[in-house]
Amino acid sequence: MTTKTSLAAKNRGGVRENIMKYFSFSAIIILVVALSLTQENWLGTTNLSNLLRDTAPLMIMSAGMTMVLLFGSIDLSMGAVCSVSNVTYVHFILAFQDVFVSPWIASVLGMLVSLAFGLGSGIALGLIHVKLKVPSFIASLGFMSLWQSVALLITQNPESVPKAMWETIEWYKVSFGVLGLPLVFALIIIVLFYCITRFTPSGRAIFAIGGNERTARVAGMNVDRTKLIVFAVNGVLAALAGIFLAANLRSSAPTIGDAFTLKIVAACALGGTSLAGGKGSELGTILGVFTVAIIENGMNFIGVDAYSQNVVFGIFVLLAIAITVDRRVRGQIVK
Amino acid sequence: MSELERKEGRAAVAEAAEPVHSISTEVLFSAKDITKTFGGTQALKGVELEVHAGEIVGLVGENGAGKSTLLKIIIGAQPQSSGTMTLHGQPYEPKTPMDANKAGVGMVFQEQSLIVTLNVAQNIFFGHEKEFKSGPVINWGKMNKEAAEVLAEVDITDIPPTKKVSDLNFATRQMVEIAKVINVTKQSGADHCLILLDEPTSVLNEAEVENLYKQMRKIADRGHAVIFVSHHLDEILHITDRIYVYKDGTSVGSLDTKDATEAKLYEMMVGHDTTTEYYHLDRQTTPKDDVLLEVKDLGLHGIFKHLNFQLHRGEVLGLCGVVGSGAEEVCEVICGDEKPSFGEMYVKGQKVKFGAPHQALAKGILMIPKERLFEGIVSTLSVEDNIALSNAKAMAKGPFVSAAAVRQQADRWIKDLRIKTSGARELLMQLSGGNQQKVVFSRALASGADILLLNHPTRGVDVGAKEEIYALIRTMTDEGKAVIVLGDTTDECIGLCSRLIVMKDGLVTGEFEAPADHKPSQIDVVSLMM
Amino acid sequence: MMKLNPAATITEEFAERIKSENRSARMMKLAPLMVLIGMIIVFTIICRTQFFSPSNLLTILNQMALPLVVALGLTFVIMLGSIDLSIDGTVGMAGSLFACFVLNTEFGFNLGFFSVVIAVGVCMLCGLAIGLCHVYLKIPSFMASFAFMYICKGIGMISYQGHPPTITDPVIKALPTTYWLGVPFITWVSLLMFVLCLFIQNYTAFGRHIYAVGTNESIPRSVGVSVEKVKIGVFVLAGFLFGVAGIIGAIRLGQGQIAIGSGKMFPAQAAVVVGGTSLAGGKGGVVNTIVGVLIMTVLDNGLLILGVDPNIRTGVQGIIILVAVILTVARGAKVISK
Repeated sequence: MTTKTSLAAKNRGGVRENIMKYFSFSAIIILVVALSLTQENWLGTTNLSNLLRDTAPLMIMSAGMTMVLLFGSIDLSMGAVCSVSNVTYVHFILAFQDVFVSPWIASVLGMLVSLAFGLGSGIALGLIHVKLKVPSFIASLGFMSLWQSVALLITQNPESVPKAMWETIEWYKVSFGVLGLPLVFALIIIVLFYCITRFTPSGRAIFAIGGNERTARVAGMNVDRTKLIVFAVNGVLAALAGIFLAANLRSSAPTIGDAFTLKIVAACALGGTSLAGGKGSELGTILGVFTVAIIENGMNFIGVDAYSQNVVFGIFVLLAIAITVDRRVRGQIVK
Repeated sequence: MSELERKEGRAAVAEAAEPVHSISTEVLFSAKDITKTFGGTQALKGVELEVHAGEIVGLVGENGAGKSTLLKIIIGAQPQSSGTMTLHGQPYEPKTPMDANKAGVGMVFQEQSLIVTLNVAQNIFFGHEKEFKSGPVINWGKMNKEAAEVLAEVDITDIPPTKKVSDLNFATRQMVEIAKVINVTKQSGADHCLILLDEPTSVLNEAEVENLYKQMRKIADRGHAVIFVSHHLDEILHITDRIYVYKDGTSVGSLDTKDATEAKLYEMMVGHDTTTEYYHLDRQTTPKDDVLLEVKDLGLHGIFKHLNFQLHRGEVLGLCGVVGSGAEEVCEVICGDEKPSFGEMYVKGQKVKFGAPHQALAKGILMIPKERLFEGIVSTLSVEDNIALSNAKAMAKGPFVSAAAVRQQADRWIKDLRIKTSGARELLMQLSGGNQQKVVFSRALASGADILLLNHPTRGVDVGAKEEIYALIRTMTDEGKAVIVLGDTTDECIGLCSRLIVMKDGLVTGEFEAPADHKPSQIDVVSLMM
Repeated sequence: MMKLNPAATITEEFAERIKSENRSARMMKLAPLMVLIGMIIVFTIICRTQFFSPSNLLTILNQMALPLVVALGLTFVIMLGSIDLSIDGTVGMAGSLFACFVLNTEFGFNLGFFSVVIAVGVCMLCGLAIGLCHVYLKIPSFMASFAFMYICKGIGMISYQGHPPTITDPVIKALPTTYWLGVPFITWVSLLMFVLCLFIQNYTAFGRHIYAVGTNESIPRSVGVSVEKVKIGVFVLAGFLFGVAGIIGAIRLGQGQIAIGSGKMFPAQAAVVVGGTSLAGGKGGVVNTIVGVLIMTVLDNGLLILGVDPNIRTGVQGIIILVAVILTVARGAKVISK
């Protein structure tokens, strides 16, 4: 009798767990079919390659956020870190373009500075969360406020990458058919992190921490270090996304990352990663990212403004989380 | 088996209850044949209790004897699995603590249930604010006045009802809580109420305890009844009229306090002698000479202190003590979960300081925690992943974990420990309690640690699984590991361990050698615990 | 770190620990007021009459009106142990809706006072929706309200179709410069809200229940208080106050647009935590919040007089939130924070 009930429970759990993946998968197909039927040029090469290219920054950041969510925390500062990295990179190029002989040196140095900033921000956030025990959402909210301000201090207005430096960001426009280099790069990153979380000792620890942090600690896992590393990596990924955005637009904008925070959470939630931690995967996030990207692109194509798009994403986030939240546990306290 | 025990228990109760004559003949409350099953284990196996109006009844028994579970059933926080209760001769079936309150039953909880940011009056009438409403506003003046009256009943006249609870000391908070409970039960309209006190003296000093006694007596003199649970036998003997003794979820008997002595109570609480077979005494090893772990003057501020012992290879060391004795915290300090405030620790002669459990594991120390569900398992992971939690690095080939190695390891342990599961990939939440505990043991054994701290290793597992776990502990010592055990019962501690350290209120009160052929008697051990 | 005295007995050690905890709790209680007084002294010394002059004090009173109302709403939510991140959206939405339904340059419906009801009502509905999502769908409050920030921003934007309406109603236009007893009308409104909140907090059962739910949900539940109703009620109340704040913003700006709300969340968040209302819930209250709002406003004002880049102010708010939370959060080897 017990085996029967437990089997039933398992099946329920299985469906529950994968429901978002099925949902995302069917959403992608339905959206693609509907948009290509109703909108004439939607399936055209230009739009498709645009769509796939614009997806890269979102995918990179979602790859990081997925890991953070997997151990039950959240990082709301990613968008702001992305902004700072974005303006830092372009500002650095502008400031040092004449100092070095080759434009490449300035560009690469600018990238390194931006990435170093992301690393530093991630480590600082991780330390505040892990060592000082500040809940991650409030710690990252403080960082969000801080970095938004820093981005505006670096530059109030968008700055353009000078023509002389364009050759150093041309790589962003390289494409193989409709598949651009940036997306290939983002896919490599997300698959890499999939492998790390599934097959390396520290990566697997993330799932154990998310499933039951207390157990992970008592079982002798280095919980603090794992969390810290993930936050650091997350910061670097957000910074990388900022560089991608600069390369894509050939200019910077101090508020460019703000719109991403909700989309990142939407992508992860639609990919089936639970906000409570322990459940989800990077591969699911790929589906979530494409769902978000297609919805966004479709709405742009039809001519829906950014604010109305946010209404849609807000509702999607709520729906996706409501479906993945485990409400079977009685008496649990959600704050 | 449980059927047999239940019968024995009932017979014992009938036998002991016969000569009892209490203050009043009115039976206020009675519970008959109460059982309670959690998952697969029986916490209560047929418990009896009868309380008369105007009397103070004490409940005694070891940890896990079922006192707290019984109180929770009486107050309506948990339903019983079977059995009946009556109050004032009527059937009594509380679904929630509120139902119980309405019927005139109130409980002072061990963990205080006052809201510290509110003032005394607001706490006393919490949830009953409607009675003081005039329009949308609460008439605080009226509430304060009535609160003062309620407080006066427990002789608190020097504290204004408008004082915040956070500004009161613990003893006063407890009195406020008692006042609150008296008020709640009084509102039921019943002449005689039933008040439950669970370990109310644990944070009080002597004068405060005396005052508590006085108030309890006053309550009883008004015709109410009090049920009093304490681990301190002297208190029980001092204040109660009648005593019920529980053991392993059954009633051993009840007797008038005037007939009781500490020795008699110990005898009733501990029951039978340790069975040799059950604990595999033939496999108990004599400890080797080399010291694996030594602690010197170890202490945790406000919890325990002056702890000294040496743990040898092949030794099973038992830490005995009731809840609050500090034994559990000793475990947590040694495994690196808490930082000690005083003292030193040496592992294999080398001085160590742990900041977190992973540092302790690196030195070969690992704890099997008490609350399996909250700190022992990751229920969202599979059996194989749970077993590999503590030795993920050992499973790695190069940078990657070998799935085959993890599977092989899991299959081996599933076979060795006879873990009932549909396969290594089954999620842990689908296993029964005993099998989950076996997975936790597999993980500990696979971790390679040679000093294992077992914090209530048999909590919530059925009898069969218990015996397998005992055998497993013997295997550990055969392999040259050293084990520290916090037993679920004293019986278990004595049966398993080759040496016992007894703790009470944070201090060591005694040490016993317990070789297989010469076990200390339970009475000796228990008398040092309580 | 506490000083440990190993000589005492276990019971004495325990009592000592409780005592020292109480001592530091009392210190923390006074800290916000000390900070405020200290800041006023420092700014008076540095900026002299530029800071401590009647006209500047009036400016401070004027500036604190909107943040105060927002922070009041947030206070109750934080007292529950939850959080509301929807502020930027709800406040902006209320301002936009209000301007749309009074006499304005863009749209023809002049509903007069009813526009207040509409704007506040929609905000309360959003609060209700957040509360329902949080309580019944068990979505953490920060996530539910975060999503609603975007939803409300969208609704606000849609309400005026990209053409922000400028208020032309002469009565409303005159309000920002209306004074009573030397204090701006708008500040009176915010003070009225403060009194209302103080009343709810101290004189109603609902207010007492908020503390209880924030301290330990199981206690009110065991005496039959509906924890769900209390929580949802708090989110609706917060929605009400955000709505009022949005209207104040629209009146001051003379125009309805979503930007009224932007940048309102961080100062409110900072004000509440700096005032001493703990994120863990159960502690603090609206009196703490008014001190917190004064701290934030005085700081803002002082920095402005000193000529500090206004963009730095957001950053300062972020750092203040972090520091205040770091100082008050529960720590210990076994504490798990997510």
